[in-house]
Amino acid sequence: ILIRMVNVKKGLMVTCDPAMKQLLIHLDETRALGSKFIVKELDDTHIFVDKEIQEVLDNKLDDLMEAMNPENTDK
Amino acid sequence: MSRRGGGGRGRGKGKWESYRDDDDSQSGSNSRDGGDEPTAVPKAASENLETKVTYSNTDEFGAKDYRNEMPLKADFTHRPLWVAPDGHIFLESFSPVYKHARDFLIAIAEPVCRPEHIHEYQLTAYSLYAAVSVGLQTNDIIEYLERLSKSALPEGIKQFITMCTLSYGKVKLVLKHNRYFVESRASDVIQKLLKDPVIQKCIVEEKVTEEPQQTTVVEKITFPGQEKDKEGDEKDDAVPDDIGELYGRIEGEEEDDAEAIRSLQLLTFEIKQETIEVVQKRCIELEYPLLAEYDFRNDTLNPNLGIDLKPSTTLRPYQEKSLRKMFGNSRARSGVIVLPCGAGKTLVGVTAATTVNKRCLCLATSNVSVEQWKAQFKLWSTIQEKQIIRFTREARDAVPQGADAKKPCVCISTYSMVAYSGKRTFAAEEAMKFIESQEWGLVLLDEVHTIPAKMFRRVLTIVQAHCKLGLTATLVREDDKITDLNFLIGPKIYEANWMELQKAGHIAKVQCAEVWCPMTAEFYSYYLRAQIARRLLLSVMNPNKFRICQFLIRFHEKRNDKIIVFSDNVFALKKYAIEMNKPFLYGETGQTERMKILQNFQYNPRVNTIFVSKVADTSFDLPEANVLIQISAHGGSRRQEAQRLGRILRAKKHSSDAFNAFFYSLVSQDTVEMGYSRKRQRFLVNQGYAYKVVNKLPGMEKEDLKLGTKESQLQLLQQVLAASDADADEEDVKGEDMDGTVKVSRRESSLSSMAGASSVSYSSRGRGGSSAARDAERHPLFKRFRQK
Repeated sequence: ILIRMVNVKKGLMVTCDPAMKQLLIHLDETRALGSKFIVKELDDTHIFVDKEIQEVLDNKLDDLMEAMNPENTDK
Repeated sequence: MSRRGGGGRGRGKGKWESYRDDDDSQSGSNSRDGGDEPTAVPKAASENLETKVTYSNTDEFGAKDYRNEMPLKADFTHRPLWVAPDGHIFLESFSPVYKHARDFLIAIAEPVCRPEHIHEYQLTAYSLYAAVSVGLQTNDIIEYLERLSKSALPEGIKQFITMCTLSYGKVKLVLKHNRYFVESRASDVIQKLLKDPVIQKCIVEEKVTEEPQQTTVVEKITFPGQEKDKEGDEKDDAVPDDIGELYGRIEGEEEDDAEAIRSLQLLTFEIKQETIEVVQKRCIELEYPLLAEYDFRNDTLNPNLGIDLKPSTTLRPYQEKSLRKMFGNSRARSGVIVLPCGAGKTLVGVTAATTVNKRCLCLATSNVSVEQWKAQFKLWSTIQEKQIIRFTREARDAVPQGADAKKPCVCISTYSMVAYSGKRTFAAEEAMKFIESQEWGLVLLDEVHTIPAKMFRRVLTIVQAHCKLGLTATLVREDDKITDLNFLIGPKIYEANWMELQKAGHIAKVQCAEVWCPMTAEFYSYYLRAQIARRLLLSVMNPNKFRICQFLIRFHEKRNDKIIVFSDNVFALKKYAIEMNKPFLYGETGQTERMKILQNFQYNPRVNTIFVSKVADTSFDLPEANVLIQISAHGGSRRQEAQRLGRILRAKKHSSDAFNAFFYSLVSQDTVEMGYSRKRQRFLVNQGYAYKVVNKLPGMEKEDLKLGTKESQLQLLQQVLAASDADADEEDVKGEDMDGTVKVSRRESSLSSMAGASSVSYSSRGRGGSSAARDAERHPLFKRFRQK
C-alpha cells in the first residue's frame, strides 16, 4: 500500500490589480527577494504566495512606493 | 557655462534634480565664446542664513520650535508676520495689514510658497540686493520688518540685513548726457573707489564733482492704468498706526524722493565708456556692485522713437506696479519682471519700450514669438510698420541703410540668431552689423530664464544696451543658474502672486488634475524588464492612458472647449494624434504648416484639438485654448509644468467663479512618471495651485474608445517594442539656430541621465543623429577644429 505524503504549505492569497501582479511575477522570476515565492497564479487579480515571504514582500513594496514618491525623501 | 553653478553654492544635485537644463551642452555652435569664466559675484551674495543658524530644538517631524527665543509682542494679533531666525518669514494673508506687508515682502524677500492662508517668504542675499536696488534703505527694511513682526526681530536677521544691504546699491552706474557716471551718496565709498588703482585708470577726470543741487526737473512717469486704487483709502482701524505710517513712507518714497535726494549730496565721477566692464567687475570685487540706471530723459544722443501707447490701452494694476518699480526714480533700472504666463508680459514689455522711447531690441525664443511680439507692438502702441524690423531665419526685413540706419527702430529677433557665431549669409551679416553698431536704449529679453548663461553672455557682449528688462513667468531652473541672472541683467524688480491674479480674473481659473492611469498587465510586465528609456516609452504608450486621453478629449470637445495635448515624446505624439485623427506639430514641422495648424486651431470650429511637442512650451500664444492634457513630459522639470500651464492661463471671456480652464496631467501608475509628476508640481503647488488626483473617470465605460481589446493592445505593445531607440528618446528641439535650417537634434542617452539612471548600465552609441548631436558629444577641442 502506498501512502501518499501530503505537503502542507501555509499560503497567502493576494488581491491586486493586474499591473501589480506583474510586479510580483517579476520579483518572483528574478528572485529579487532571495527565492521564488509564488505558489500559484489564480487569475488576473489574484495570486497565491508563500506565507513566509509576507514580511520581506511588504518591505520591498514599501521601498518601491517610496522610490516613486520622492517628496518624502528629498526636499 | 559658469563653473560655480550648482556646486559653488554647496547644493548637490539630487537624483530628481538631474534634469539638465536645456542647452548648456548643446549650445555647441557658439562655443568659441570666451565667456566661460565664472560670473563675478560679490562675496556677500553667498551668505546664507539657513546654514548659519544651527538649530537643535526640532520636534519629531522636523518642525522648529522658536517659542523660547521669539516672545510675542503684546499686540501681536494686529501684526501679520513671523520672522524666524533662519530667514524664513511667514505672512498671514488674512491679516488686515496683509496688503502692506505683501508689497513690502515682495520687495525684500523671495516668495517660497503662497497658498491661501499663510505665505512663506525667504530673506536671501539676492532678494535684499533687489530691495536695495529699488531704493529701500537698510534702516527702513529693519524698522518696517520689526513693526510688522509679531515678535521682536531676531538679532541674526538684523545683522544679515545690514550685512547684505550695506554695500549693495550704494553705487550706481548712470548714463546721462551720453556719458557714464558712477554715482553715490556715500562719500566713504566713493573715496574707496577713487583710491582703487584699477578704477583710477578708468576715470575720465580725477576730481569729484559735487552736485548738491540737482537742477534737472524730475518729471514723474505715469502709466495709463486703473491704478491709484483705494489702497490708501481703506484705512482700517485694525492697522496699528506705526505700520500704516511707515507704509506710506516707503511707498511714497518712490514717488517724490526728490527732496531726499537734494538733502543728500550726490558724489559722481565720470568713467570712460570703453572701460565700463572693467569698472563693473572691479566694483563687484570691492563688494560694491554697480546698479545700472539709464537716465533716458536726458539722453540726447540717441533719438526718440516717438511712439506711445494707444489711448485705448490700459494697464492692469499689477502691470503698472511692476513698471513703476522699474521706472521708480524717472530713470530706467535693469532687472527682471516675473509675471505668470498669460498675465500680459508682452504689454509690460511694450510699455517699457514706449516709456524709454529709444531704440529697442527685443529678443524672443522662437520665430513664432517674434511674430507675436510684432503683432503686440502694433496692437498696443502707435508704432508704424516701417519702425519694426524683424530679424529671423524666415522673416527678415530689410536692414535700414544709410540715413535710415540712424533712425530709431524696434528690432525683434531671437536669441539664437544673435548669439550664432558660425558663418552667416550676407544679409544676416548685414543685420548683425546693424545690431552691433547700434546703441540700444532698451533690450527686452523674453522668457529670460530659458537661455543658457553662455549664450546669454554672448548676446550681452554683442549688444550695447543702456537698460535690460527680462521678462519671465517662472524664475526657477533645475540648476542654480538663476542667480547668475541677478548679475547679468539685474535684480528681480517685481513678482506677481498667481492666486491673486486668478481671483481678480486677470488669469484663468485653472483646475489642475493628476489622472492616474493604471498600467495594463502586458505593458507593465515589459516595463519591469526594460531599460529606462524604453520604460518611459512604455509608460506613455500605456493603452489605458491612451483611452483616458481620448475620453477627456471627447468630453471636452462636447463642451466646445479648445484642447492642447502635450507630449515630449514624438513617437507617442504621432501615434496618439494619427490614431485619433487630430493635427499635430513638432520640431520638424515647417513654419508655414505650423502657422496653418495654429490658425486652424484658433479660428476653425472643427479643429478643437491639437497635439504638440515641447516646441509649444513657451511663447505659443493660443488664447483660445482652455484645456491642456499632458501625456508625456520632460522629467521632473518644474519650469516646463508652469510654462505649459501658462498656455491656458490667458483670462477667459466667460469668467465666473467656477473653473474655466483645465489642466490634466496623465500619469501611468506604478511607473517613474509618478515621481516626476510630484516633482514637477512643486512650483505650481508653491504658487497656491492644488492638484486633484483622479483615478476614476465616471462615464468612461460607456464611451466607445479605441484600444479596448486585448489584441489591439498587444498590437500596440509590439509596435512599442519594435520602435527604435531614437523613437523612444524624447524630442530635442534646438530652435532656429541660424539663418539656415532648423536644427532638430536628438541626444542619445538623454533620457537615462534625466531619469537619474546614470548608475544604470545603459549606454548608447551614436546612431547617426544629426551632426549637431554628435558635435555636442565631441570634445571641445575637436569642435573648435571642425568649425574652421
